[in-house]
Amino acid sequence: MRVELQHVSKSFRHNGQTVEVLHDINLTVAPGEFVCLLGPTGCGKSTIVNLVAGLETPNAGTILVDGRPIAGPGPRRVVVFQDAALFPWLTVLGNVEFGLRMARVPKTERHTAAMAYIKLVHLSKFAHAYPHQLSGGMRQRAAIARALVMQPDILLMDEPFGALDAQTRAVLQEELLEIWRRTGCSILFVTHNIREATGLADRVYVISSRPGRIRHVEPISTPRPRHAENPSLVECQRKILGVLEEEIEKVMRDELGESIHIAHDQAGPNRLREMHS
Amino acid sequence: MRELLRRSTFLKPLQALALLYGLWQLTAWCVPAWPSAHDVFRVLGADLRDPGFQHALLGSARRMAIGYTLVMAIGIGGGMLLGRLPLIDQVLGSVAVALHAIPGAAWVPLSIIWFGMTEQAVIFTILLGAAGIVMVSTDTGIREVPPLITRAARTMGAFGLRYFWFVVVPAAIPKIVDGLRLAWAFGWRALMAGELLTSVSGLGQLLNQVAKAQQLDQLLAIMLLIAAVGIGVDALIFKRLEHAVRVRWGLAS
Repeated sequence: MRVELQHVSKSFRHNGQTVEVLHDINLTVAPGEFVCLLGPTGCGKSTIVNLVAGLETPNAGTILVDGRPIAGPGPRRVVVFQDAALFPWLTVLGNVEFGLRMARVPKTERHTAAMAYIKLVHLSKFAHAYPHQLSGGMRQRAAIARALVMQPDILLMDEPFGALDAQTRAVLQEELLEIWRRTGCSILFVTHNIREATGLADRVYVISSRPGRIRHVEPISTPRPRHAENPSLVECQRKILGVLEEEIEKVMRDELGESIHIAHDQAGPNRLREMHS
Repeated sequence: MRELLRRSTFLKPLQALALLYGLWQLTAWCVPAWPSAHDVFRVLGADLRDPGFQHALLGSARRMAIGYTLVMAIGIGGGMLLGRLPLIDQVLGSVAVALHAIPGAAWVPLSIIWFGMTEQAVIFTILLGAAGIVMVSTDTGIREVPPLITRAARTMGAFGLRYFWFVVVPAAIPKIVDGLRLAWAFGWRALMAGELLTSVSGLGQLLNQVAKAQQLDQLLAIMLLIAAVGIGVDALIFKRLEHAVRVRWGLAS
């Protein structure tokens, strides 16, 4: 599946004001390609995922899937959210079967398919456990299985490993690459972590903030498995960091300006601490 | 350590009860015509073996069972309808809120006008006293499905009635159970009010009888039983159910 965003802009109404979140985004994910969106917090990368998923509609521009404009969400473009968003009232198996159930797949068939994908993410032992009994990493594995069982053409991942500890994240990154290789689906992966982006992607889009624009596109041809110390990878990271530093400076200027303003009122010191924590 | 903890949580309420019992005995010695705890429990024991009393108790239980079943059906069904249809919700939602602001006892006169001094009047009182809270909490649960759950469901192709049945309803269950627990308490109160005023054979009507006969020990025995059933059903069924649901839904550990 080829996903194309052409001149896409998106704004939200916030406290009676219109805030532009994305400005003139042009982006392509080719069939089977692994694309990362990298940018500071609040730059609108998650909005791009929601737009491609069909959960939100752009104010301007078009989003094409295989040349046709999208009409709402659908199981060919499945999202893996940062906090898994599993249904707490269903077991892992129930969660993974959910999409097939919606598609009216017969019971035995969907059971077999679900168990196969649960095995793929190494959760077979926990197929009958409920989400509240799982660790954060296991929940994310279940969410990935739940998405993959739909055999989507593109997997949309919105900072899926953002809330995990470093070791779990590294393991899941490796497994995700293996799953990607085996299933051949495209992946659009949102992250604010440069190492994560360069370690995973065929191409990294660097997004600026307020409004979100594409600042830089970095193709990464380093063969996998990639080691963080690989010179060509380090070079990529250095280039991206250069672009990002300008962005981060801009964000810091905005935030510090705001916090200095706030520091004048009573609540000042607390707010300042919150921002830097 | 664990064993000790379990024992202490078991012992504490027992100690508290023993203390209460002792205090009651003391006041009975000091205040004339005030029955002692021992007397009241003895009377209660005799009552429970009395066929007439058993008949009244079963009558109350039957009315509560029928009334509460209707409360569940109409409360959950109505709440789902309200949650699904925003237009009706705006009109009837406020009616439901108003309904559940009226105490169960206040429905008895209307029930008597409509149904006379009958069993139906008592059941109607339970229904009106308790259905509102179930309706309101179901309605809230239906409308407040976490947005992330909705988004996840949408991307997996859940729409229309299947979305409602497989996502919205289960997501609303914690709220519905909250409502059912409150409805038990409201309904139990409404049952007593209904029986007191309609003189249909039941615990409430027995209260009336013994009060007229100035039998204070009987009166206290029946009230003790009313409290025990109210607390007992809540603790044995509703509290457990609510806790199990909250754990499963990730709202408590």
